[in-house]
Amino acid sequence: MRRRTLLQLGIGSAIALAVVGGGIALVEPGLEPDGRLRPGARAVMGGVARGVLDGVLPADPAALDAALRSHLQRLDETLAAFPAATRAELSQLFALLAMPPGRLGLTGLGKPWDVATVAEIQQALESLRRSTLTLRQQAYHALRDLTNAAWFADPSSWAALGYDGPVNI
Amino acid sequence: MSRLPDPVRDGLARGWRVFGGPHAVLPERIDCDVAIVGSGAGAGVTAELLTRAGLRVVMVEEGPLRSSTDFHQRESEAYPALYQESAARKTADKAINILQGRCVGGSTTVNWTSSFRTPTATLSYWREHFGLDGMTAEALAPWFEQAEQRLGIEPWLMPPNENNDLLRRGASKLRIATADIRRNVKGCWNLGSCGMGCPTNAKQSMLVTTIPAALDGGAQLLVQTRARRLVHRGGRITALECVPVNNDGSVASPGITRIVARHYVVAGGAINSPALLLRSELPDPHERLGRRTFLHPVVISAAVFDEPVEGWKGAPQTLYSDHFLDSQPIDGPIGYKLEAPPLHPVIFTSTLPGYGRAQTELLAKFPNTHALLALMRDGFHAQSPGGRVQLRSDGSPLLDYPLNDFVMDGARRALLSMAEIQFAAGARVVLPVHERATTYASWAQAREAIAALPMQPLLTRVVSAHVMGGCGIAGDATRGVVRPDGVHWQVENLSVHDGSLFPTSVGANPQLSIYGIVNRLATSLAKSLAGREVALA
Repeated sequence: MRRRTLLQLGIGSAIALAVVGGGIALVEPGLEPDGRLRPGARAVMGGVARGVLDGVLPADPAALDAALRSHLQRLDETLAAFPAATRAELSQLFALLAMPPGRLGLTGLGKPWDVATVAEIQQALESLRRSTLTLRQQAYHALRDLTNAAWFADPSSWAALGYDGPVNI
Repeated sequence: MSRLPDPVRDGLARGWRVFGGPHAVLPERIDCDVAIVGSGAGAGVTAELLTRAGLRVVMVEEGPLRSSTDFHQRESEAYPALYQESAARKTADKAINILQGRCVGGSTTVNWTSSFRTPTATLSYWREHFGLDGMTAEALAPWFEQAEQRLGIEPWLMPPNENNDLLRRGASKLRIATADIRRNVKGCWNLGSCGMGCPTNAKQSMLVTTIPAALDGGAQLLVQTRARRLVHRGGRITALECVPVNNDGSVASPGITRIVARHYVVAGGAINSPALLLRSELPDPHERLGRRTFLHPVVISAAVFDEPVEGWKGAPQTLYSDHFLDSQPIDGPIGYKLEAPPLHPVIFTSTLPGYGRAQTELLAKFPNTHALLALMRDGFHAQSPGGRVQLRSDGSPLLDYPLNDFVMDGARRALLSMAEIQFAAGARVVLPVHERATTYASWAQAREAIAALPMQPLLTRVVSAHVMGGCGIAGDATRGVVRPDGVHWQVENLSVHDGSLFPTSVGANPQLSIYGIVNRLATSLAKSLAGREVALA
């Protein structure tokens, strides 16, 4: 199983492993066994949300904090429904991104996710998106798609879309 | 809360024999005449016909039994409950996202109701290349007619929603023909929520047609139960081993249910059916199993109009164009079918490219956004061998589907065709769904930009809702997994009755191809097992 995981890559995983030096076995997993985000992964996905959802998140700090908390809660629920194989891959991705060398090596982000500015996080996302390495492109899609799926699943997000919700029957 | 009738809850109250999950406790052993794996298009038709023939039938479904009362038209509820891998099933390199049902009724519970008979060009390719001499439009016509009658498949008489009408208007400006899509609905409310389970039971899915008929006839249904392994000895299946599973697919408890039957029908859908045969280590002397799995890889083009589109409202996919299939040879460069999908918040925002302010700006125009999709007809060319289903170490399936240059050339042509149609329909801007694309304000600008886009996996957004093949049907053992009568070439009491039969992609939304072809196979299976003539309609 080990050799097939880490987003099931050959070259990408070799680079990622080189980035983190010690190899993933020593890294704290990103997810709890039931799929919930562990603290490091919460910081990653909180930062990613500020980058991806820039423009729809509230500006007021207290409101932003509350919005991110419920977003992370929805992410927990989303992840819990994924099969074990998917969760294992995402757990490794979050573990890598939560560690300074992994974060820097994969995304170029020099600051922790929870203190980086929106512009810095977006630069990190863009470097993943523009990369020619499959692992980094896969990471971009995973982070961005999960974020949008969890955020726009909630009816409170629909006003920004002009979506009036399902017809009441 | 819907107060509409719910035929499934009524059936449960009448005493349907349903086991697993919140229903009756799974027995350790069940003896029956036929065990059917799955409850989707192929399984449902098979279950009804075999039950009518007086056979004792057991169906095994990995997903839950949910019905109209549970269908609240919410993506957040529907995807984790009703879809494989929470609607995020992906190919091995994660370049294709696959929508596939996992609930009682299978994909028929969540599909968008598009109903096409198998195209004649496809059938002729199957006859020529796979020795399927009996697969003619004439020979299949009565089987399709019965399925159409049973499932209310008729022309859709309501006006198309704006998202579909834009396809018609744009195409007609370019003298590209469009036509109406027939739908399997009775008394449809035109809500547009088909993908989240029909809340009014208008959609004539297996959930409200064949499966209730089978259960009323005494069939048994195991839900939240995975068919783990077919036990075989001497060219025969001796038992089907099943385990209870949680919503995330993990094994729920250590017990095993053994189903012992005279005959076994595998109809768990492409990807899962070949995976069951692989897990069971069934003979595969010609290395056909799991290979030639097709997806109709789909690329998408979004466009913004001055007038509201509201792509979430009204029946999805009521018009189509086969211009880019019919205007070129089936075995030439890959052709594509154009349709207009439903647009809902989660599926839309997780499919469109970009993030941050640019995304926010685009999403603000969601009510005025229209989308087209192009389904590429894969499997008709040496450079389109499809993908291969393999097993992870935990036994779960993984489809490796390389998006090669042959397919991606079709993707580029499809993005061009869709953009041209959208501008012809009056689009302000067009956005090909590609990581390196942006919004384009004219056809000339879009044409130049799309011509220069790097058509690579993970840059080009590719999705699929049609999984086909992997247990191909063929006139001889070297070219397929099952015989023309659906029985396994090497295992005499095992049949395959689902979309995994198809030796290529269908070249049209596959549900009616499955209903019609399986209708023929299951009717003849009923005759051979029970000695009785039965008919679906």
